[in-house]
Amino acid sequence: MKFRRMARFHGLKRPRIRQTWNKYNLFNLAKSREPYFFSKTFFQQKWNAKAITRGYHGEHIKERAWERMFSRRLLSVVDMHPDYMARHDGSEQAAGRGSGLDQDPRGRKGLVVRNGSSTKPTPYMQMTFAPMERRLDVAIFRALFASSARQARQFVVHGAVKVNGMKMTHPSYLLNPGDMFQVDVESVLTATGRKKETSANKAKSSSSNSAEEAGEAEESTETEVPAVELDEEVVDAATLKEREVEALKKLMKRAKSVIESQSKEMSVKRKKALRALIKDVNSTMSRVSRTTSDTMIHKTGDVVDDLMNLLSRLEVGPEDAAKADKESREAEYATKEEQNLLRKAIEAELENPRDPSKPYATPWTPRPYMSAFAFIPRYLEVNQNICAAVYLRHPVARQGLGEVPTPFSIEQSQLAFNWYLRRG
Amino acid sequence: MPPRIRSSQVLHRAESSLLQCSSNPTAPAAAGRPSSSYSSSTLLSSSLSATSSRQPSSPCCAFQRSSFSSTASRDLNRAQRTFWEWMRTDGRKLRDPVGHPNYLKAGQQPFPSNNAFKSQPILSDAARNTIYNAVMNEGLPLKAVSAKYNVDMRRVAAVVRMKEIEMKWIKEGKPLARPYAKAVQSMVPHSHLSGEEQDPFEPINDIHVHSHTMQQLFLPTSEARHFTRQDAAKAFGEHILAPDEKMRIPELIAFEKDLVAGVGNEDAEANFFKATAASERAIADKHLARAQRDENNKTRVDSGRFEFRFERISVDSAGQDGRARRGVGWRYGVPFNDRRRAVVKIPTKVE
Repeated sequence: MKFRRMARFHGLKRPRIRQTWNKYNLFNLAKSREPYFFSKTFFQQKWNAKAITRGYHGEHIKERAWERMFSRRLLSVVDMHPDYMARHDGSEQAAGRGSGLDQDPRGRKGLVVRNGSSTKPTPYMQMTFAPMERRLDVAIFRALFASSARQARQFVVHGAVKVNGMKMTHPSYLLNPGDMFQVDVESVLTATGRKKETSANKAKSSSSNSAEEAGEAEESTETEVPAVELDEEVVDAATLKEREVEALKKLMKRAKSVIESQSKEMSVKRKKALRALIKDVNSTMSRVSRTTSDTMIHKTGDVVDDLMNLLSRLEVGPEDAAKADKESREAEYATKEEQNLLRKAIEAELENPRDPSKPYATPWTPRPYMSAFAFIPRYLEVNQNICAAVYLRHPVARQGLGEVPTPFSIEQSQLAFNWYLRRG
Repeated sequence: MPPRIRSSQVLHRAESSLLQCSSNPTAPAAAGRPSSSYSSSTLLSSSLSATSSRQPSSPCCAFQRSSFSSTASRDLNRAQRTFWEWMRTDGRKLRDPVGHPNYLKAGQQPFPSNNAFKSQPILSDAARNTIYNAVMNEGLPLKAVSAKYNVDMRRVAAVVRMKEIEMKWIKEGKPLARPYAKAVQSMVPHSHLSGEEQDPFEPINDIHVHSHTMQQLFLPTSEARHFTRQDAAKAFGEHILAPDEKMRIPELIAFEKDLVAGVGNEDAEANFFKATAASERAIADKHLARAQRDENNKTRVDSGRFEFRFERISVDSAGQDGRARRGVGWRYGVPFNDRRRAVVKIPTKVE
């Protein structure tokens, strides 16, 4: 988003809470207070509440379109307990003068519990914007596949989203219960991951370090991911890398010792294999120890596969293992741990590779401030591994719990609901 | 505010401070006039850097970035100062993942003003595997799995459906979003569905509240009448169903009734499994019968290159006025808006 537009979108002067994971939004959310209503007419109160709530719920949707979607029918459910239903037919609630017998007036002891009612009120008013949650773009945002509702909308328009296996390019498609939507994995990783360190970013990072200390707002608004974080990331990666390199070094040393000790007894084939192993380990080491990783690594998978194969052969050992003397056996036992460490390092590398061709920072790490916004409402079931989610049912209100994720209080939502009721 | 005006303001400020320093008694009165600031701007340009240094935010980098500009950087207003102060203190704690849920307010509450919304646990990867195994490998009916783990039946079905796709991807060697999945699982509260002592994952016996039953109703009856849930439903409307008929897993009520009647726990469970399996089979049979009926209605002619399918239709399906929605084909006088402008053509369902 352009800076000027962003400054107004996440304004500090006239704050509006938005459907994004932006840090300014988080600040506005943390500092949000109930609006001052005492000197306002009822109309003004409703107008204000409408404006504020609509700033969050589908601000990218035209008012007329939302008015058509709005429903005064608010869905709710009651949890009925089968054990209660098996023991009672409901007549005990109509006993006496019609509202049940008061069995123990002192301590409400004899009252039937678990009959579906509790003392908590049902927050119906928090369901005002429930129809909005049916929209495909909003559901993608709620499933944590995009960092804002507008970005989710872009994913749909750009053809990165499938509904029930078919490409869907309408962000306003209303999901039906049971619909499964899938978002392109790379898009999700780009949207939710840290920003990549580019040359332009880097230049900014050196200046924004001092700028942040000086408290300059403008600088870091433009880069949503402040560049200070990138340094920390490098440090974390460096320690991990050191461990990997160490494991690889040990492996190489061992392979060399095996060749030296058993050079006479070994078959040519095995010798060749071991030499290839040393070569591969060398190349992997140089790859891992490269800090900037400028070069492309296409054969990552091949190298690691070869390594794994050789590792297993080394471990089992064909006919040489039987011939090997006591010392070498002991050495083999000692390296089991190292092998595991190496295997883990390789697996981690395979799972989350360092790949400069990606549009996000690799290895992938979540973007800052994501955790404060990370929740998945119960009407969705999400499988993060394949970036797919099922819209199970419409959001409902139950006792003490409104399922629509809304940052506003019940009073505000109620005023907004009253605005859309259009009854003077 | 445009930079041009701002720079003149800065100059103006510089001038006024200079004038205040001087001992001329008439100077403070002249400071407020903009005309004097224009006239003296060239004279004062050398003292600009000295006065701008007293501003709290005059980072040198601002000049580095735009070395040709003599414009001083903007002051932070109060809101911006508060923001950066917050970023250094409370905001700092929310920036990086900490390995467990980390929201603005304690009690899994991401929105401080809305205490009716909580971040509720999601199923962990292990829990999904458990559910998948129970359905696909153990062959338990969906209802039984739902009741066993306290997970909504629709969620059980969704878990199995998406797990199938995941396994297909693994088979094909398609990369999964594992680092992303791990990150989300560490940020959102999750349940493993392992221990018996755990709270139930979610209520599985929810019934929808019909809008007709939301009103208060006074129904005069005799005191001796045995007024049950069924009677109450009738009172609200002829078409209103009693809660017993709306239950998603009615077999659970039968199970509890068995327990009340003194049937042993194991026998009651066996009955429950039998009943749920039977109900699932009945649904499957129904679907099969429908597919069979549709198939019987079709004639397939395979020409080698194409397969032609002829479906038998009824003229009567267009209704008496010929405008019924189930009518097939183009009908005289009935608008056919498929390609009309300004008619919403966004699909309402995808199958």
